[in-house]
Amino acid sequence: MPIIVKDYQWSETDEKMFVQVPLKGVKQSKADIFCTEEFVKVSFPPFLFEALLFAPIDDEKSTATIRDGSVTFNLLKKEPVMWSQLLSIHSDDKSFVLKKKQEAIEYAQKKSEDIAKRKSSAKEENKKYSLKEMMKLEEADRDRIEQIKVSERNRAMDEFTRWKEEKKVEAELEKMQLLEENKVKKLEENKENESCKISEIFVDDNSDVVDGCRIIELQEDPPLQKANDATEKPMAAVNHDLKQEVDKKKSKVKRQGAGPRQRGKISVNFTPRVFPTPQRESKAVEEDEWLQKQADARKQHAIDDPDLAQHEKDPAWLKDKGGQLFASGDYMAAINAFNLAIRIQPRMPILFLNRAACHLKLRNLYKCAEDCSTSLDLMVPKVAANAKGRLKAHLRRAAAFCDLELYVEALQDYEAALKIEPKNEKLIEDADKIRTVIQSSTG
Amino acid sequence: MEKPQIISHMEKSVNYTLYDCKWIPRSAKFVTIGSHPRGTGALHVYEISHRDLIQLKVYETPTSLKCGTFAASSLQSRHLATGDFKGQLYVWDLENGKPVYQCDAHPEIINAIDGVGGMGVGEGAPELVTGSRDGAVKVWDVRQRDAPVACMEPEDGEDRRDCWTVAFGDAYNSEERCVCAGYDNGDVKMFDLRNMSVKWETNIKNGVCSVEFDRKDISMNKLVASSLEGKFRVFDVRTHNSKTGFASLEEKAHKSTVWLVKHLPQNRDIFMTTGGSGSLSLWKYDYPVKRVKVEDGVKTGVAGSLQYLQNATLSTQPVCGMDWSPDKLGLAVCVAFDQALRVIIVTKLNRI
Repeated sequence: MPIIVKDYQWSETDEKMFVQVPLKGVKQSKADIFCTEEFVKVSFPPFLFEALLFAPIDDEKSTATIRDGSVTFNLLKKEPVMWSQLLSIHSDDKSFVLKKKQEAIEYAQKKSEDIAKRKSSAKEENKKYSLKEMMKLEEADRDRIEQIKVSERNRAMDEFTRWKEEKKVEAELEKMQLLEENKVKKLEENKENESCKISEIFVDDNSDVVDGCRIIELQEDPPLQKANDATEKPMAAVNHDLKQEVDKKKSKVKRQGAGPRQRGKISVNFTPRVFPTPQRESKAVEEDEWLQKQADARKQHAIDDPDLAQHEKDPAWLKDKGGQLFASGDYMAAINAFNLAIRIQPRMPILFLNRAACHLKLRNLYKCAEDCSTSLDLMVPKVAANAKGRLKAHLRRAAAFCDLELYVEALQDYEAALKIEPKNEKLIEDADKIRTVIQSSTG
Repeated sequence: MEKPQIISHMEKSVNYTLYDCKWIPRSAKFVTIGSHPRGTGALHVYEISHRDLIQLKVYETPTSLKCGTFAASSLQSRHLATGDFKGQLYVWDLENGKPVYQCDAHPEIINAIDGVGGMGVGEGAPELVTGSRDGAVKVWDVRQRDAPVACMEPEDGEDRRDCWTVAFGDAYNSEERCVCAGYDNGDVKMFDLRNMSVKWETNIKNGVCSVEFDRKDISMNKLVASSLEGKFRVFDVRTHNSKTGFASLEEKAHKSTVWLVKHLPQNRDIFMTTGGSGSLSLWKYDYPVKRVKVEDGVKTGVAGSLQYLQNATLSTQPVCGMDWSPDKLGLAVCVAFDQALRVIIVTKLNRI
């Protein structure tokens, strides 16, 4: 409970009210002053001074100073009337006082809210203003640049129009000049028709086209018979061209037209383009097809043969086993292994290829050719990925055909193999050998 | 604002597909080459006057046209040579729209055409070169009918790659000529027409959209080849090393296909590249301190450096045709696949 301070002093004039509240030793900074129109309070714990005033004061113009250990209020009265007492009449009525206090507090609160609002709105205004100013500046800058650009453009266009006019004038002048000269020359010609000699006239080889490639020299030569001879033949053909040529002043030598060059051909070859290929040439579709096929082929068929162990049903193992047997020379057993593998994975081309090799060794040539054909059919989207396999298939089948003396078919297989690998020299040699055999047998 | 500025001065929308545009020399006119949706070709001649483009002439040709050049015709006649979608080579007289020369050059579309020896520039016979999708590059002389003067193609049965671009160069006297061709697998081949041989070839990994020498009528100096994947390469072709070929420097631009490289006629070290994103970039090549270095008695070229001068985005579609005006510095016309042709001015080029 704060201690109410009662030993304050007050005095007044018509307009002002002075109240002095001693701070009783409490630090000045701890004093909290609250003042509204009708209510004044100083709280300096543990002391408290509050007073409900006799009449309202103008709290905006009133001041309070903390000095010399006391708070001095300098209150400006709203009505310049002598009060003769500080506290209001109702000060004894505690509830009244309380109510007034509440009102005062609310009033003060509202006021401070108002002030805050006004401050913030003022800030907003300032911000907007500064933004507008900045925008104006930037706008001005941009306009300036635009102006410069437009003026440059105008200048360039004016220059251009001027240049065009100049050209036009020049062209006109030239035309006038040419007309003048033409007239003059015509007169001269008519006068000197007999005495003018056309000495050297070079005519171009392919001269059906009248396209100004001549040199004409006009010379004045005393002997007239020569003139007559010379003028007779070419005169007719050249006459109308002469008019054109003669238009130039005096004897200007026109540029000798160069004859067209000799025909020639240059062979070109292009750098091969492996990857990336342009979209229109890409084999992406086929490669995807091939991958899909491979994936399908790997699907295995289950076989229930009680004699076989689990690992013996694995086609990869079987393939390796077959390879081992082939290497050791046991071709029948190898074939068995491959047969079993094919039963499980019927669409793996490599199994057919290997079985074909076995058949070739056993001289089952038809079976070998069959197996090669099957494997080729399985490697149908012809992509780089299965090139090696196809090559092997073609070569094995060719070998089988050779042994069967079906040389034409063998040659076909060699050609196919060469398409896959055109640079392989052994292939080229073998193909040539077969060709000679065919020719010697048919020839 | 000291850099050159690329200013789009005029823009015009048309109702046919534009493939190429060329200035008519010695005039303020240009011709656009394109095709109508109905499969016929379009040749429109425009003139620039004050603020407007005036359409002077409109011609329709039997098949869609792809490319054209004035470079092989004389200054008096100014005939336009074009290649079309059926592989035919026509030379048109633009005064009356009639063909002066016609031949079946290739069985497939002619992708690129170039000319040399006309326009009062250079010496020697005026010739045209065409590159086609059938992989052949053929050189034509208008005075010879029906058969090319030189033919560069693979043997029968060999792989064929589309030829996407051709360019003449090294035509410094009446005998020397060089043709450079770029293909869709990245091959760049240079053919010597005097010796009828392949002078040099290389592969720049991505399809070559455009090759150009910096000047046709001087001894070979620089060659720029632009390609897919936003790259282009500048070769210094003055010095040839038998082992390493030509020195080159590679640059990335546009973040999309670099469709064209066009050198400024008035300054051979400045060129513009056009991109598939509809942008134009202006570049300057700076020569190195020493252009040739000698190692073990063998000379090799040294590539210089590129300066990126300016960039402008004019369109959203690839800029497929561009031509600098040979008469006015900085004036150019370009066409894009958004069926719009634009006249642009590049300022301050005389101060670089």
